[in-house]
Amino acid sequence: MAATRRLQKELQDIRCSGLKSFRDIQVDDSNILSWQGLIVPDNSPYNKGAFRIEILFPAEYPFKPPKISFKTKIYHPNIDEKGQVCLPIISAENWKPATKTDQVIQALVALVNDPEPEHPLRADLAEEFLKDRKKFVKNAEEYTKKHSEKRPSD
Amino acid sequence: MDFQITIVLYLYSMTSKDKEYGTGDGEASSNPDSVESVQKRSLSSKNNSSEGETMKRAAAKKLIERYFFQLIDGCGNPKCDNEHCASSGKAKKLTRNQAAAQAIRLFAQEARLCDTKPTKVPKTHDNGAKGENDKATSENISRDEASGAVAAPSGDSDHPQVLPNKVASHSVADTTQRGPLSKDIPYITEEKLINILETCKRESSYSLLIRTLGEVYSSTDSLSKSFIKQDASSVAPLDSMLERAPLDLKNMKKEDVRMLEGEMDKEIDSQEVEEGGSNSRKIGTNNLLDKGDDVSVDLLSLRRAYQALFEVPGSVFESALVNALTTLTMELDVRLLGDAGRGPDLLNVFVIVAELPVLGTSEYLEVALPKLCRAAARLPIVAQARLARVWARHCKSRIKTLLQALQQLVTLRVISGVFTRDYCVNDEEGVTAPTKVMKILYYASMLAGELDPPDLRQEESEDNGVGVNVGSSENLSGRGSASRQRHRDPLGLELGVDVLDSRKPFIPFSEFYNEPLSDAIEMDKDYAYYKSDADQRKFSFMNYSFILTPATKTLGLYYDNRIRMYSERRMSFFQNVAGQHTNPYLRLKVKRDHIIDDTLVELEMAMENPNDLKKQLVVEFEGEQGIDEGGVSKEFFQLIVEEIFNPDYDDSITRLMVQMVIESVYLTLCVASFFFMQANPQEHFNSVHFSRLYIFLGMFTFQQETGTVWFNPTSFESDAQFTLIGIVLGLAIYNNIILDVHFPMVVYRKLMGKKGTFHDLEEWNPTLYTGLKELLEYEEDDIEETFVQTFRICYQDVFGSTFFHELKEGGDQIYVNQENKREFVDLYADFLLNKSVEKQFKAFRHGFQMVTDESPLNLLFRPEEVEQLVCGSRNFDFNELEEATEYDGYTDDSPIIKYFWEIVHSMSLESKRKLLQFATGSDRVPVGGLSKLKLVIARNGPDSDRGRQETGGGDRAFALETLALLSTIVWKFSSVFQKLPTAHTCFNVLMLPEYESKEKLNDRLLKAINYSKGFGML
Repeated sequence: MAATRRLQKELQDIRCSGLKSFRDIQVDDSNILSWQGLIVPDNSPYNKGAFRIEILFPAEYPFKPPKISFKTKIYHPNIDEKGQVCLPIISAENWKPATKTDQVIQALVALVNDPEPEHPLRADLAEEFLKDRKKFVKNAEEYTKKHSEKRPSD
Repeated sequence: MDFQITIVLYLYSMTSKDKEYGTGDGEASSNPDSVESVQKRSLSSKNNSSEGETMKRAAAKKLIERYFFQLIDGCGNPKCDNEHCASSGKAKKLTRNQAAAQAIRLFAQEARLCDTKPTKVPKTHDNGAKGENDKATSENISRDEASGAVAAPSGDSDHPQVLPNKVASHSVADTTQRGPLSKDIPYITEEKLINILETCKRESSYSLLIRTLGEVYSSTDSLSKSFIKQDASSVAPLDSMLERAPLDLKNMKKEDVRMLEGEMDKEIDSQEVEEGGSNSRKIGTNNLLDKGDDVSVDLLSLRRAYQALFEVPGSVFESALVNALTTLTMELDVRLLGDAGRGPDLLNVFVIVAELPVLGTSEYLEVALPKLCRAAARLPIVAQARLARVWARHCKSRIKTLLQALQQLVTLRVISGVFTRDYCVNDEEGVTAPTKVMKILYYASMLAGELDPPDLRQEESEDNGVGVNVGSSENLSGRGSASRQRHRDPLGLELGVDVLDSRKPFIPFSEFYNEPLSDAIEMDKDYAYYKSDADQRKFSFMNYSFILTPATKTLGLYYDNRIRMYSERRMSFFQNVAGQHTNPYLRLKVKRDHIIDDTLVELEMAMENPNDLKKQLVVEFEGEQGIDEGGVSKEFFQLIVEEIFNPDYDDSITRLMVQMVIESVYLTLCVASFFFMQANPQEHFNSVHFSRLYIFLGMFTFQQETGTVWFNPTSFESDAQFTLIGIVLGLAIYNNIILDVHFPMVVYRKLMGKKGTFHDLEEWNPTLYTGLKELLEYEEDDIEETFVQTFRICYQDVFGSTFFHELKEGGDQIYVNQENKREFVDLYADFLLNKSVEKQFKAFRHGFQMVTDESPLNLLFRPEEVEQLVCGSRNFDFNELEEATEYDGYTDDSPIIKYFWEIVHSMSLESKRKLLQFATGSDRVPVGGLSKLKLVIARNGPDSDRGRQETGGGDRAFALETLALLSTIVWKFSSVFQKLPTAHTCFNVLMLPEYESKEKLNDRLLKAINYSKGFGML
């Protein structure tokens, strides 16, 4: 799989760096273009659980951006029911081939921690977030408890 | 001794710049005479100069020149025994500099001079116009005598002046200002013109200006000598050497001459680097590398002069100038009819006149310009090509103005003329001549814009070797390439440029369309002229198709197709008489409920005899009485399109699946799947059995990002099936039918014979293009560590398995770095667009050409227009969009939504396009129309004028809002911060704040979409 030298290098780098907020990285040996991992947010109301994401790299990577989707359901203004997320750093317009996957993941973690209601994918949640933060936090916590995965122990 | 001095003084007086002389002399420091003394003597002797002396000086120079030419060219006498003559074979082969030095030596020695004069035209002067004066003959000397008198206005001339010489005598009292060779022809330069203007202002009488303009602009000779560049490069070695030579030529020491020679060599070397060998350029060659775009006119000076001139109220000299130009064109006509019309000479005339800033106005437009066009249209192709090159390189800014003037002229003539069947626009020279000139501009605009190298054009011969197993393909291809050859434009051929090479013309192609003309033209008649134009007597706009709108061109194609159909019919009639049985029509017998399958089976049979495809299509529905006079085949195509785009496609697929199992004939299904895939690409991802079918048959891949289909590089299908699809596409054009197929533009370019390039990726796969462009723009040193990219790339097939391809041998070991990144990108694009689908595309193109090879498609249409021909124009049906739009936070009854659609429906097409671009990131209509867009309008909070700090980062909407905010601050609108509509182009979501009024919504919406464009262009 020498043609994906870059991905292999990135994977190695990320595994070595020991990110706290992104762990349990699983990559199928037969297909390095598909990664899975666990997002572990620090901020309330998402700090009660962990969220599985999938990163799909196109064959043309790094000239085309990867795609990220949430496998775990999440109550978040910027992530829709299907798990799609609109992350500017990997949008077709903004993508830079020099951007590394760990930067992408950090941007994603930051978005999960601090929602951006100005650019919602779910307008109802965004409005709730802006108008009635208490209610939003309560709903999100309940949702997290119900759907999210267990946080790693350490 | 005194005589010698005067010779050099004469030579000196001929040099235009005192300063240059000074330095030249300074360099030849071994010369005992000081600059000062020379100048003193020169002044005194000039003042006393009489005609006799002038004559002697000229004679001396002529003598040296004769030595020079004798050394270079010889005397022409094959039996010559002069050791200083090239014809004798005894003289050494000399460079021009050596020859010049030697000539001076020989002059000093009074060496033997052959009797016969050199046969060749001297080459000392690059400009052909100047060359005239250099024949070393006694006649010339006497002519110089006459001009000598002119040159010294104080002297009484008893020779009749060849031309009135007011210009020279008034404005250039100091003769040193004059160029060395325009002795008896009035001409002007910037300096002179400004002098005249000043004189006129002082005397508050413009008669001098009027006379001058009248004289100069009415004579090609005068004009071609005006505004000539004064730089050293146009001075021949002999002249510049004489300039530097010490006073006493006869007694010059050998070392001096040698030194001069050395100096000159150095200088020439540096010039040649600059000029790239200007001698070879004189001969118009087909070689593109030999640009031949040099012009001896000093354009900057010319423009300054015009600027000064047109500060004078135009009416003062307008009629004089118009009259002069009219006279000029009469002379041009005569010269162009004879063979006297030598390129560079007249070239200057056209360059100077075309720079006139007033050509597009009033009198000039109506009187002078038509005649100028007529003259320019008669220029030989080589000269037209030079003109195009000169315009493209030096007069870019003029191309647009000239084009506008010509368009105005054509429109004026078309509208004011009365045309009948017997006298149509083709016969009106007032229309055809500007059209011919417009073609020069058309090519100039391409040359001035972005061009791809011509080696990207795929030659026909290369294509004919395809191993497509179709009967009689050999003789067919033969016919095809022969007809294509004919379509190359002579001017394009001369320039080595093809419309296909043009990536981005300097002026958009659409600006060359002339609608009034396109409406007025009788296309059938024009077509007849086109067909009979073997002798070029009849003018056909089909050879100038750039001026016709696509609609009119379509008509031309239609006539061609019809005529071919009739001729095929006649042929088969004769064959029938001769006893062979052939069908005069392309007869398709189909069942209504199996229309696609039946069609494809019939077409496959027709492929065995490709000429059948060119017969008129006659469709017969089984069990129906209708006879096809056009109506039935129209219905047939309509049905095919409907069937293909049947929204209830699941049924069709089930039916196809059943057929597939039962008949196992998937040939037809391939084509069907191709259409189905287009019909509803979104569903392909949802529908299990469709995707199975699709994968099974996968001839094409669907590119979601652009909504287009592309050839599947890993297709297992045989070539014949791709050929079939090509035939369908060709038949659609041949029979004037619109198909809703969505190929990227590069497919049409490739069909027209140009390979795909990196630039085609921009439309083919925008994200990949941007990524690769980032690579090209990445300037850091760590490119290898950052990209970790080798010359081996990865791609996926429709099953999602990955494949690798080495872009060059051992590519996996070669890392992309700053040096080879361009090569990597080009190879990558070449692989994706050409190499990986070569087999499939060749077959496809072959099918397409089986139908269209003899039609004037290439002649008339550019790839963009062919796409329009196949697909029709883009359909922006916003009602369809409204019906399909979903809402989040609003309902279709919300007042703001009602306002929104009212506003949108009243928008111009351009604004609708922008709105689409804004909301979805693309102004393309997806396959199946706007309803497939799945637009969502979401409520983005209540209306508020509160300032908001965006945290979104790099989102388009963010930058957009910032930009809009900035501008509103600048414009000091009522509120400083406004909330604007934003968009998520990822999911086609338009975020709309709930504005309180329709006016406000309108204002904000327009602001958003208009700044969106401005932002996109940054």
